[in-house]
Amino acid sequence: MVKVENLKKKFVTYKNKKEKEEFYANNGISFEATNGEIVGILGPNGAGKTTLLRMIAGILEPTEGNVFFDELNYQQNEIEIKQKIAYLSGNTKLYDTLSTYELLKMCSDIYNVPKEKAEERIKELATILNLEHFLYNKIANLSTGQTQRVNIARCLVHNPQYYILDEATTGLDIISSQIILDFMKQEKKKGKTILYSTHYMEEAENICDKVIMINKGTVIQAGTPEEIKKQTGTTCLRDAFFSMIGGVTDEE
Amino acid sequence: MKNSLKNILRKELRELLRDKKSLAMMLVIPIFIPLVIMGMSALFEMQMNKDVKQYNKIGFVYELAEEEKNIAQEMNVEVINGTEEELKQKYDKDEINLYVTKQNKQYIIHTNGSENSNYAKQLVENYFNVYKQSLQQQYLQNNHINANEVLDIIKVEEEVEEKQNFFANYIKNYTFLFIIMAITFSATYPSTDTTAGEKERGTLETLLTFPIKAKDIIIGKFLGVTISSIITGVISLILAIITLVMAQNMFTIYEEVNIVYEPINMVFAMVIIVAYSFFISGLCIAIASTSKTFKEAQSTLTPLTFVSFFPGMVAFMINISATPLLSIIPFLNYTLIYTDMINGKIDYWNIVLMLISTIIYIGIVLKIIIKQYQSEKILFSK
Repeated sequence: MVKVENLKKKFVTYKNKKEKEEFYANNGISFEATNGEIVGILGPNGAGKTTLLRMIAGILEPTEGNVFFDELNYQQNEIEIKQKIAYLSGNTKLYDTLSTYELLKMCSDIYNVPKEKAEERIKELATILNLEHFLYNKIANLSTGQTQRVNIARCLVHNPQYYILDEATTGLDIISSQIILDFMKQEKKKGKTILYSTHYMEEAENICDKVIMINKGTVIQAGTPEEIKKQTGTTCLRDAFFSMIGGVTDEE
Repeated sequence: MKNSLKNILRKELRELLRDKKSLAMMLVIPIFIPLVIMGMSALFEMQMNKDVKQYNKIGFVYELAEEEKNIAQEMNVEVINGTEEELKQKYDKDEINLYVTKQNKQYIIHTNGSENSNYAKQLVENYFNVYKQSLQQQYLQNNHINANEVLDIIKVEEEVEEKQNFFANYIKNYTFLFIIMAITFSATYPSTDTTAGEKERGTLETLLTFPIKAKDIIIGKFLGVTISSIITGVISLILAIITLVMAQNMFTIYEEVNIVYEPINMVFAMVIIVAYSFFISGLCIAIASTSKTFKEAQSTLTPLTFVSFFPGMVAFMINISATPLLSIIPFLNYTLIYTDMINGKIDYWNIVLMLISTIIYIGIVLKIIIKQYQSEKILFSK
């Protein structure tokens, strides 16, 4: 289970050389995601999704609040938590000079997967994700879709319990997107917890068990897609979102 | 070594060895060391063994007295007479190396400052000094004064460093400065690549999600860059030693002199190279990691190459030695200890101070970098 408690993140921006301005990218976000659940984090660009997921993944330190993975938290168990999570974003880049095999081997070593198990796991992943024909090719020479499959393999190599996926399908073609969505469904069946941010409302509606809608750093609605539609009297999450923020504004 | 640190170091070295530019910086720059040694040796050889016939054609607008002719002949001055106009024309056509005119008792040397006329000027000045001395002696004798009592009242004894040792030390000192510069060059590219480059390529985010402490990531990167710098330093030193052996056989200025490093000097040169590699790698990573882009990091690091070279060069030019205080001043300490060592002065206390101060500087620099890697402003700013 992942428990996010009153998470806040303050950033400082500079209006000009002298004047600075503080703003909260996340302002008191709380929710829970249980095992075997896909939780969608939805919101427009600039809503604070990436900041939230970076804090959950341990890349950013919260200004306030806590994240718990079962009973573990970052203050005391940073390395243990990172052993159990996989983070994948639309911006995640891989090491171009390595081959797919070398990258997966490097990740296995970093996650302390025993040598024999790692070899088995890489073979298994190569078969499942159809990486076999470019396993020894340099990542620099792979197509976008192939690279994203390697990225998924990288996340799976240590068999994590928690997945944090930040707009992982953004910019991908329909086939590559489908690979990621299928992968999420399979991992959910295995009882893994998946936090998934997107601004594609339709995609979230189809795949998520629960949805957290955020805007300007705060949660504006949370629940199952059905509950949210019912509460807002709409037929899709997209309309539900607009009804909650009062239509499209310049900022959005 | 900790497993996570070993994994990061392995990753860094693999990236380094597969990147053509990093490899070029690491392996190609040392090739310039032999060129520098050979070039400087050839220049010295040319200056030392310049044939007097190349610069001894001196024009005089007046007829030389018998005595003047004798002095000129003794000093290999080839006298060419003519009017000022004629001599100027010959000088412009490079037929003579300079010409002298006379107004009352004043002699005027006409020269344009070119290399050959500088040699010629020195020759003519010597000629006039000898002539002046001869006139003074004659004048004193005519007045019944013992010339030796007047002219030889000061006796200066000059202790000149042996010609050969001077050149050998000069070459070795400059070679070391170039090795220092090669190490700095070699450290700048991989440190830029592993910090700003990794940030720009988007792989830093991936790295930060791994179950590895920020401290291990930094130390892994630091060791990767240091290994690259040490490789450059060692290759440079080996090439320098080989080239010095070759130079000894090729140039007459090194005849009967041992310009090759003594074994003890080689050991100390290695110690200095390793210490400097650690120091400069840490500094380069600290500077590069504050940059947002690869290009920005490169621009920020460029002055460091000059900073690494100049304190040593100035110290060498003004001929200062290492002291306990100077042994803890970064950049300067490495060159001074090396120069002293080449001059036969090995002060172990200064070497220990240099090593201790280097360790302290590296500690401070690493602490700063670890702090930088915890700063979101540096990691995620665009």
